Order: sequence, then structure tokens, then C-alpha cells
Amino acid sequence: MTLNLLPLRRLMATAALALALAAGSADAKQLTVGLTADAVHLDPQAGEELSSNIMFYHIYDPLVRRTADLEFVPGLAESWELVDDTTWHFRLREGVTFHNGAELTPRDVVFTLERLKASLMSSLGRNIESFSEVDERTVEIKTFQPYAVLPNDLAGILILNEAHVTEVGDEQVDLSPVGTGPYRLANWSKEDRLVLEAFEEYWGGKPEIDTVVFRPITNPATRTAALLTGEVDIVQDLSVRDVERVAREADYEVITRPSLLNLVLALDFRDQSPTIPLDTNPMQDQRVREAITRAIDVETIRVAVMNGLSTPSEQYVPASHIGYLPGASFREMYPFDLERARELMAEAGYADGFKMTLDATNNRYVNDQQIAQALAQMLSQIGIELELNLMPRANFFGYIRVPSDSSSFIMSGWDVPSGDAGSMYGAMFHTRDVRDAYGRVNRGAYSNPDVDALIIEADSTADVRQRHETLQRVTEILMQDIPMIPVHYEQDIYAAHNRVQFTPRTDKFMWAFEMDIAE
Amino acid sequence: MFAYAVKRLIQMLVVLWAVSVIVFMMMSFTGDPVFMVVPIDATDAEIAQARRILGLDRSLPEQYVLFLKNLLQGEFGRSYVFRQPALDLILERLPATLEIVLVALLIATVVAIPLGVFAGANPQNPLSRLIMSGSLVGISLPGFWVGMMLIFIFAVELRLFPSSGRGETVEFLGIRTSLLTANGWHHIVLPAVTLSFGTLAIILRITRAGMMEVMRQDYIKFARAKGVSRRGVLYGHGLRNGLIPVVTIFGLQLGDLIAFATITETIFAWPGMGKLLIDSIYRADRPVIVVYLMLVALIFVVVNFIVDILYTMIDPRITVK
Repeated sequence: MTLNLLPLRRLMATAALALALAAGSADAKQLTVGLTADAVHLDPQAGEELSSNIMFYHIYDPLVRRTADLEFVPGLAESWELVDDTTWHFRLREGVTFHNGAELTPRDVVFTLERLKASLMSSLGRNIESFSEVDERTVEIKTFQPYAVLPNDLAGILILNEAHVTEVGDEQVDLSPVGTGPYRLANWSKEDRLVLEAFEEYWGGKPEIDTVVFRPITNPATRTAALLTGEVDIVQDLSVRDVERVAREADYEVITRPSLLNLVLALDFRDQSPTIPLDTNPMQDQRVREAITRAIDVETIRVAVMNGLSTPSEQYVPASHIGYLPGASFREMYPFDLERARELMAEAGYADGFKMTLDATNNRYVNDQQIAQALAQMLSQIGIELELNLMPRANFFGYIRVPSDSSSFIMSGWDVPSGDAGSMYGAMFHTRDVRDAYGRVNRGAYSNPDVDALIIEADSTADVRQRHETLQRVTEILMQDIPMIPVHYEQDIYAAHNRVQFTPRTDKFMWAFEMDIAE
Repeated sequence: MFAYAVKRLIQMLVVLWAVSVIVFMMMSFTGDPVFMVVPIDATDAEIAQARRILGLDRSLPEQYVLFLKNLLQGEFGRSYVFRQPALDLILERLPATLEIVLVALLIATVVAIPLGVFAGANPQNPLSRLIMSGSLVGISLPGFWVGMMLIFIFAVELRLFPSSGRGETVEFLGIRTSLLTANGWHHIVLPAVTLSFGTLAIILRITRAGMMEVMRQDYIKFARAKGVSRRGVLYGHGLRNGLIPVVTIFGLQLGDLIAFATITETIFAWPGMGKLLIDSIYRADRPVIVVYLMLVALIFVVVNFIVDILYTMIDPRITVK
């Protein structure tokens, strides 16, 4: 007897082919992202920089979620209420599971906060005094003083799983993270690729994209090349040089958005200024500060130094923030006007100008060195001879640190992802050394009792509306006093293949959960 | 021989110690690492806490003594930034660097030696002149330019090779390598060619010079006279004797390539250890920098030791003392 095996073979071949097809393509969506650097940590309490932050928000969730446009909405906490001026109750969402299958409990939140307080990132929780578990779904958080924007702060604190962290130990959290987020870690080959896969049981619904691959490509030209060859679908920080090249390609799109990073110039208010060789400090005179502001042509910096890729700042914080004063703008109050600036200098008794030094970085902000050079050129027009003291950021932040004993004029960046001007005002404009935790970054030693009183008033109400109005009054005074000159916001530039649906976030944290990719 | 090895070992320890002292002193000028990890508006208490966690609350000499103590126990310190053992961070990235360096050296040797022998044996041939001018170009072109051009031509325009990354890896004897997968080789071609450029040109020129020197010797004429084929003279008598300077330079180049693969790695997003060094300098991450430089010094010393041994094999008249 002979067996005819032919039909069977055919059947097997067909089945194999079908299997191969199903595995190869079909519904598994993959997105490959070209980042500027690899993540350093996957433990959100071990440190932070942009790449790590991007991973954190894929893997973990905060109690309060910050939306792409800087609104604060429920995250792991479905609601919260103020019990008294300093006591908050956060009610946890039901049925949230960690990647290891464990259910989210208030105990995890308490554990997270305890661990945070002892970590390098303790500053994230600096307004929190104490915390405890109230019942099986409620966590109580107390602040040192009434603090209306606690939920905004909590958007930066990601919830860990107590059992997992205790089991694997602190060091391993970096390598085997467990959170409640929409993605979990599949594979991390350092400096080469970090692969995330969709977490099916995500409380917010299963993500559209099944696999996200992050590739660190530091060299900007290579990043563009990898995009154009199809090796990656979307890149972060497209080089300014490549904007035109990519925009020319039919299949690709360049996407820009003003960032939150405000480049600011701090002016010295002390009686004598370290780098000004005079017995008095000319910048104590409001007219001199106004003259400097008017002598800086922000529009020229935008066009000539930034290739059009910056947004001149109106105030110290962007329009989305608590404390922003609609209609008020440095650019309208003190427009570029050399003649008026020279008049003001003469009125103040400095017709011949003076000499001082600008401290700035040369590797921290976009074109920082060129901006500093442009400033020197612009201020020379009103007789101010500006010497440049440029340094790498590893030296800079220690050098300019309060008491800023060697600085008169400092260029640095400031961003407020919490969406609240209060933290910036308290740190930068409150009088130094009178109240713990206030005026820590007041590098120019600016001091105005009205400002101090209003900042304290804002920090003693638990009502956001009231805080907003109080901080607006601070904004108004500051714009008169000019303790600092805001210059511009850098632009975030992305480029993506047309298949990718992507809207940039204000905080730069690319988030695959909000993205999609067409087949 | 044994005495020689012991002497070299002692020399090596002195070199390593000197490297550690120099790096420690240098790093005290490059800014305070604590400001790289705390936020700009950190309070004094927060900074103090960070200092304590990182071990930066002690004075520099104290830190150095502690470093030496730990070193004797086989502890190389922890990265301030990664919070992982510095040595692990480096060793994790070492295979990728060794891969492109070895492939680059292979390309350089395979191409350079035959060309060098040809150019040395036929100095008047127009082809030799072409080879020599080509090698000048190879020496003078900066690596990052070559890399970018290769990416532009072979990745973006011709789509023959990927622009960046390491490709698929497999585990072999406990080491992850991409040299055992087709996809891995596809990825390694462009960076390895880029890295090989300078070395290729140097080996070529040294081989040619060595050959020209050797070909003038009496024993070459004698070998020809006794009827050895031209090919036999070139590779059997000529190359063998002309090879000594090539081996020296080979050893130096190996060390150089490992230490300076940095630029090629950055351009091709190759996950090697060179990029780690650059990032660590940028972040003032002293523990990583110290261990990295000590490791590179160690590699140099070991490679040169091996080169010395190789001399005695190529030319039995030489002995090491």
C-alpha cells in the first residue's frame, strides 16, 4: 500500500505560509523613534533627563496626568479633594494592575513617596510634608502650607510597585522596571535600542501601537539619514540645517512647537556688582535695566541666530501657566529702540556706558554661544562693554549658584513643567535668605517687599483661582522692575514619516500612547 | 623572558596608578558633579542629600584614598549618573567597540599589505603612484567626514547599507556579538570601513617603506640570483623582513582604534564604549572616566607587550630583556 503524501504536503506548505504572513505583518504595529540619547535610568527616582523621562511615562503612571497641552487631569487617582487647607485626599482608580499582575494599592503610593524622600530626586516632593493610607482606596497627602498646585507637582511623581522594588532591590529597578503604564520593557540593549511592548491590561485601554523601539542616535545628521532611509519613523530634535531638506520630501513632515524653556538674563541688584568696576551698581537704576532691555533685539536673534526657530518671550512664563497676565508683553512694553535706550542711559548718568561680564553656557541651550556674542554686540550700541565668560554646563551651574559672588549678568534657561509661575517666582524673585526655600535661585539678589508678600500670599491659599490672581499681580510688578529679561523660548523640532500620527507635547515627552502609525 | 614580563607588569601598575591620579586631579577642575544630578533650584538640604548619596561629601584626597581601597578589593566605583558599577557599564559596551575595531583592522590589513608590497616592489609603476596618493587622502580625511559621506552615498542614496545601529546580536561564549549574524555584518560594514581609513593608509605606507628598504638588501639580490621566483622573493624574503615596523604600528593602531573609535561610534550610533566616555566627560561622571582611561591604558600596555613577543617570533635575532 502506498500513501499519497502530496495533498498533506500541500496543506502543510499553505499552513506554514499563512503562519509566516500572520507573524510578519498584519495587525502588529511597530513604531521606531530616533532619540538624541539613550535613557540613563528606568527608575524614576534615580535621576532624570529627557530620554529617561520619555521612558518613565511609558512604563509608569503618576496620580495626576499632565496632558499634551499642560492641563492636569486624573491619572492613577480618579479624583481628589481638599479636606482642609493643607490636607488632600486622593482616591485611587479601581482595577489598576502593575505589569507584574499586582493590583495598585494606597500602600504602593505611600511606599513611592517614602522612597522618593530619601532619593536623589527628593526635590520632586519638596512641598509634601507627610502622607498616609486612609482606606483601601484613599491616600492622604499633607503639605507644609496651603499649596493649591499640589496636583501639578504630583504629575511628576511616578508610582512604583512596592513588592517589586523590595524584591529586586534598588539597583535592579533601573533594569527591570515595573509600573502601571501603557507599555512595559521588552528589551534594552544599552545605547542601541530600547524596546517597549503594549501592556494589554492597561487601565486606559490597550495602546494602538504594539511595539515601540527607541534608538539613540546622537549625531543629528545620522538621525536625519536614519529617518530618510526608513530605519526610524520619527525623530526628535531635527537639526536646524536639515529642516529644509526633510520638508522637501513628499513623505515626511517637519513638526515644530515652542518649548517651555525660557532663556532669561538675570540682572544684578546688589550695591556693588562683582564684574562692574564702579563704586555703584548701575543696574540698580530701573532706567538702566530698561535701556538694556530695549537694546536687545530679540527679533534679530530669532532670525539671524536661531534661523527663525524661536519664539520671543512675552513674560517669564508662557500663556498656559498660572500667573500669566494676558495682554502684557516685554516686547510691547520695551520694544527694541536704541535711541530711547541711549536716552535712558544718559538720564541715569551712564551716557558713556560701563563694563561688565556675561556668564553663559556654551553647550547647554540651542546656539547659546552665538546668542551671547549677539548680546555683546547689541549692548555695545548703548555703551555697555560686555565681556563674555562662556563655560560648559558642568562648570556653569556651580559657578552661578547663589550667592553668585562672581556674577553680574547671567544667561540661563528656566522651564516650569508644573504649569505654575509660583515655583519660579518663589525661587527666583523672593528676597534671598529670609525664608527657607525661597529665593534660592535669586542670583541677582532682587528684593521687593511687595513681591515677597504676594508670593507668600499665593503660597498660603489652597484656591487655584486666587493663586492665579495673586501671581498675576506679581507678574505685573516684575515687568515694571525688570529683575530679569526674558529672551525667547526654544523651538522643539520633530520630523516624521507621514504614516505617523503625532502631536508634540509641551513638555517634550514623546508618548506612544497618544500616537498611531498607519499600516 | 619571565623577568621581562615581571618588569612590564610593574611598569603597567605604575602607569595605571599615574592615570588614576591624573584623572582625579583633572576632574577636580571640571565642575562639581553634584550640580549635574540635582535640579537648578535645589535647596541646600537636597544638595547635601545628593552629596551623601554619591559619596561626594568627603574631601578629594579622602575620596581618592577610598577609591584606592575599593580598587584593592576589586571595586571600581559607581557611576554618579547611572548608579551602576562603572566597570560593568564599560564592559557591557566593550564587545561592540572590539567588533568594529577588529573588522576595521582586518579590512585595513587585507587591503593595505598587498598594496604596500606592490608599491614597494614597483616604486616607478604609475599604479604605485596612484596607490600612494590615495593613501595620502586616506590619512588626511577626517573620520567624521568620511562617515557622513558613506552614510549619504550608501545609506541615503543607494540604500545598500543601514545608516546606523548595531543590528542583530547573538550570544557566543557569554559575549553578545553581531559578527555572527548576516544582519550584524550588514550594519558593521560602513562604520568599520570608516574606522579603517586612517589605519589602512598608515599600514600601507609603512609596508611600502619597509619593502623598499628590504628590496635593496644583498640577500634579496642573492635570492633572485639563485633562482627564487619573484613572488617567492617578495612574500617569503621581502615581506617577512619588512614586517617588523608593520607589527609595531599594528599594535599602536589597535590601541588607538579602541581609544578613538569614539567619533565613528557617535556618527553611526554604534553602541560602543567610546560614546560612554564622551557622555561621561560631559556629565562630569568621574568614576566612569577613571575606569575607562585605566582600561585603555591597560589595553595599550598589553598590546605592546604582545607586540614585543611577536618580534622575537618574526625575527629570531631579537630577544626581549
